[in-house]
Amino acid sequence: MTNKELIAKLDSLKNINPDANWLSNNRELLLSQISNSGARELSAWSVFVINFSSLAKAASKPAYALGAFILILLTGSIFSHQAFSSAKPNDSLYIARIISEKAKLNTMFNADERNKLAVQFATEHAQDISAVLADPQFNNDENKDQVAKLNESFNDEINSVKTHISYLSPKAVKNNTINDVSDTVSMANSLKDSDGVQIFEDNNKVNPVLTPGAKATSVLNIPNTLLATTTASTTTEVSADSVLDEVKQLFEKKDYTKASDKLKEVDEMIKN
Amino acid sequence: MPNNLIKKFKNKQAFSKLKSHDKEAFIKVYDESVNDIYRFVYFKIGSKEEANDITSMVFLKTWNHIQNNTLEDSKTLRALLYKIARNTIIDHYRETGNKITASLDDEDNKIEVVDDSRNPQEKMDQEANLELIKSKLPLLKEEYREVIVMKFISDLTLEEISDISGKTRGNVRVLLHRALGALRELVEEDTNNRNKEGA
Repeated sequence: MTNKELIAKLDSLKNINPDANWLSNNRELLLSQISNSGARELSAWSVFVINFSSLAKAASKPAYALGAFILILLTGSIFSHQAFSSAKPNDSLYIARIISEKAKLNTMFNADERNKLAVQFATEHAQDISAVLADPQFNNDENKDQVAKLNESFNDEINSVKTHISYLSPKAVKNNTINDVSDTVSMANSLKDSDGVQIFEDNNKVNPVLTPGAKATSVLNIPNTLLATTTASTTTEVSADSVLDEVKQLFEKKDYTKASDKLKEVDEMIKN
Repeated sequence: MPNNLIKKFKNKQAFSKLKSHDKEAFIKVYDESVNDIYRFVYFKIGSKEEANDITSMVFLKTWNHIQNNTLEDSKTLRALLYKIARNTIIDHYRETGNKITASLDDEDNKIEVVDDSRNPQEKMDQEANLELIKSKLPLLKEEYREVIVMKFISDLTLEEISDISGKTRGNVRVLLHRALGALRELVEEDTNNRNKEGA
């Protein structure tokens, strides 16, 4: 006899069952016993919660864990940025701020938005470095090494700002410029009554309005820098670049406050 | 939905309800496992009446255990039932002061095999097998009988048997191999004797 045959014989023993009467009587007895010892009937809400959580656990244990991990990563990157954003370059938490900023940048899918944010971060870093170096309690011979490192970091941040501005697509800047043009036109329209002129947006020309008693004026040309859209990107880049060069010069002259103010200007230019 | 997923869902659901002391969930567990526990007890005790009493006691003890302890994992629920059954049998041995000595064949209390799906020939074969194995199982060592019942009659996994018996998986595997060998020898010996008597 082989083990297989023996196991088949053992299998027949699975048909041994207790007496049916005993089963039902014992069931009733057990039910009454447990009813008197802390058993309870679950509410519909509890049953719903149990069913839902059981389904979630059974159906997607690996997917559930992955989802939770992604959620933690995303919320962590968003909230940690807020928590560490006040850390200064000479703080120990500054590295955490850099990491959280990088995490936030990596969660952005729009390239223009990412570059804008990168410019914003780099500008803020440069401003913070200026603020720290403007503090005479820190900027002294005792912290010579740290000051040297911050000077280096400042140059890196400025270069980073320049690089990311050059990455910004003309379209991203174009939208801003078109808004500027509309603003300019509406501003000009508001001046119509006092100057007696009418501005047409389509041909960049301002024609005189023929109103009785008003002096006729010649056709005026609006400067191209206000209305041109094709050169908007270059203009912004050039102006930002020149401001950044100014910042560098101010920084080298150790005029940290002015450098910080100029950086704010660059930040505003990018935001607008 | 795959069957495996449904099974997992039902296990988790029953487990969560038990943790909340839901009596309906416990009665469901009772309905699903009473026959297995009864068989386990019966093959260890050898008496139908005592198996009834002990099985009843096992479920009440399990309920009390759930009331007073935290269940850790749905996988442990079946193992918990068998552990409690095992301890209850040990208590029973202590109280009565003896171990199983009688054959599982009890003339006064014949075992009822309820299976209407087989034809008369199959039924006869089944009964012959049943009688043969039943007569030989009590002759095995206690630990051999226990491991055979758990593995081949109660369909427990090696992991579950290991958990219940407190032995390593490797030990359980070795024990199972030896137990099967011992039972096979007994059955073959009996068959040879019968053949000789027939000749």
